[in-house]
Amino acid sequence: MRIVFLVAVLGGAVFYSYIAFVDLNFLTRTGRLGPGFFPRIIGVGMALTTIWVILDALRDRARVAAGGAAGADDAPAGSWGDAVKLIALALGYAVLLRLFGGFVATLIYLAATLSLLNPGRHVQNALVAVLLPIFVYILFDRLLNANMPPAMFELLPF
Amino acid sequence: MDIFSDLVMGLSVAITPINLVYLLAGAMVGMVVGVIPGFGPSAGLAILLPVTFGMDPVGAIMMLAAIYYGAMYGGTITSILLNTPGESATVASTFDGFPLAKKGRAGPALVMQAVASFVGGTVGVILITILAPLFSQVSRSFGPPEYFLLAAMGMLTLIVMIGTNWKLGVVSALIGFALGTVGVDLETGQGRYTFGSAELIGGIYFIPIAIGLFGLGELFYAFYSGLHKTGSGGIIQIDKKARFWPDAQDFISTRWTMARHSVLGFVVGVIPGAGATIASLMAYSTERSLSKTPEKFGQGEMAGLVAPETANNAASSGAMIPLLTLGIPGSASTAVLLAAFMLWGLRPGPLFMEQNPELAWGLIASMYLGNMVLLAISVFAIPLFVQLIKVPYRILGPAVVVICTLGTFSVNASFVETYLMFAAGIVGFFMRLYGFSPAALVLALVLGPLAEEALRQTLTISRGSFGIFLERPASLWIIGVTVVLVLILPLLGRIGSKAGRAEKAGG
Repeated sequence: MRIVFLVAVLGGAVFYSYIAFVDLNFLTRTGRLGPGFFPRIIGVGMALTTIWVILDALRDRARVAAGGAAGADDAPAGSWGDAVKLIALALGYAVLLRLFGGFVATLIYLAATLSLLNPGRHVQNALVAVLLPIFVYILFDRLLNANMPPAMFELLPF
Repeated sequence: MDIFSDLVMGLSVAITPINLVYLLAGAMVGMVVGVIPGFGPSAGLAILLPVTFGMDPVGAIMMLAAIYYGAMYGGTITSILLNTPGESATVASTFDGFPLAKKGRAGPALVMQAVASFVGGTVGVILITILAPLFSQVSRSFGPPEYFLLAAMGMLTLIVMIGTNWKLGVVSALIGFALGTVGVDLETGQGRYTFGSAELIGGIYFIPIAIGLFGLGELFYAFYSGLHKTGSGGIIQIDKKARFWPDAQDFISTRWTMARHSVLGFVVGVIPGAGATIASLMAYSTERSLSKTPEKFGQGEMAGLVAPETANNAASSGAMIPLLTLGIPGSASTAVLLAAFMLWGLRPGPLFMEQNPELAWGLIASMYLGNMVLLAISVFAIPLFVQLIKVPYRILGPAVVVICTLGTFSVNASFVETYLMFAAGIVGFFMRLYGFSPAALVLALVLGPLAEEALRQTLTISRGSFGIFLERPASLWIIGVTVVLVLILPLLGRIGSKAGRAEKAGG
């Protein structure tokens, strides 16, 4: 998985460099440093360093396959399932926000997330799922006069 | 005398009922954030920055500063009671803090950590009061070449401190620089990496990235590490029959420990990239080597708790010096503070204290008050924070997602920025997982545009010659200091890691 992430970073670095070289000028017409000066240095530097890191990671992998100790950069053992679950729920929340606005989306998200992460404690979950959206609504919308995400499909009268 | 009258003026600005409420609220919220494992000052500041938008600048900056050092105070409570540091700067506090609690001295340990934090923080603010005007005066002669070099120094020292993973630190910083180039090029007006999006013309906003990386990224990582399953089962309860207050011997035996590590912590804090973590580990190591009974360290020695606590709070104060006087943040937390200043149209730098004396001195004065408030909260609200530690992470987690999301949206009412925050959260999780440095990314995102602008101005002044960096005395000084730091910092880092490893091996 680490290699996949590093390759994704390398892909980003190559794409960034491509635009820096193709779309952005190194110097302006008056001979000053152009908009491409910094991006070219950054892009090339990022691509080269990432390649170096990938080579290190591949060497580490070969060493581990040969029975050596895991490298210092290897990810510590953990639960992918729980992390992925939380990420997926968070992304679902992002979609709900667009559809139903800040208050309703938060209520649905909390109810769904807590029932998955904190199963069996229905009263506790229901209380948190209702009270927290009310608290953030009062804090952001009423006290701070800040923006709450508007709904595409309005379910509430306020 | 000038300093004294400025400080009195600062106190008159800071001591208003509403500002005191903000200060108290910031200190409390900071402590709460510090108590949550995985969330340090940078996460707390990033998440709570949007909450301050409705306030006036003085109150908002005071509140953010209180959150910043409140989180430093709070991080130690879990180190002592749960053997789980709230964040990296309080790792060293577990070495003797947890053994003290196991010996039935949780109460004295918690009170002494609060006193040590107060002493470190207050000495740090006294040193800021004396040194910040001097730094401002020196830096008034700085031009674009010096600013470019200072930004480079900040990045270099941070990467050097990353240690064995320095290549990943470089990649992290370059990602930050790359994000910093998005938007319209100010010199030519040409769009860079905007892909026709109107939302990207103004560049990638710092706040969603910081909230995503430090808020969501840390949270996802905490779930990956299984923190939500551990609960608070290992928490050491404060024995009601045992003495809660420290005895005179605790104070007498640690008085010089507090004095020396206040200064050491402050000096380390001023160095960009070094920060509170290195300061606390170095303080622990130094204290043990100076002690007549080094064998007691790791077994519940009060000096072993007091040293890192004094140093990490003094370091937090020290980090304010480059921020206020040069406009260069030395850490992720001060980078978020810089973003907060910029949100109110304030630009910290050599002229900041001269042009905004009320805000600058109000902030410094508020730090004196903040340390007193935090000492009181730390001592008298300990039972409250113990209850907070008991709130399961599986409930805190979703609540943090909600606050991060709605906080990000509230800044500019932008769904694009909210989605960027989620993306930064996922990237931040992988960065944390594979040893990258989110702090380097955030620092580079802030420093990148400043560095690019300064370099382009420099080369315009010098007509394309890099020799200008060697012609100006101030530039030469900065280059010299950078070279010395790059050589010395790995040694300091090694001293700190050695102390950490020795304690781990010892138990």
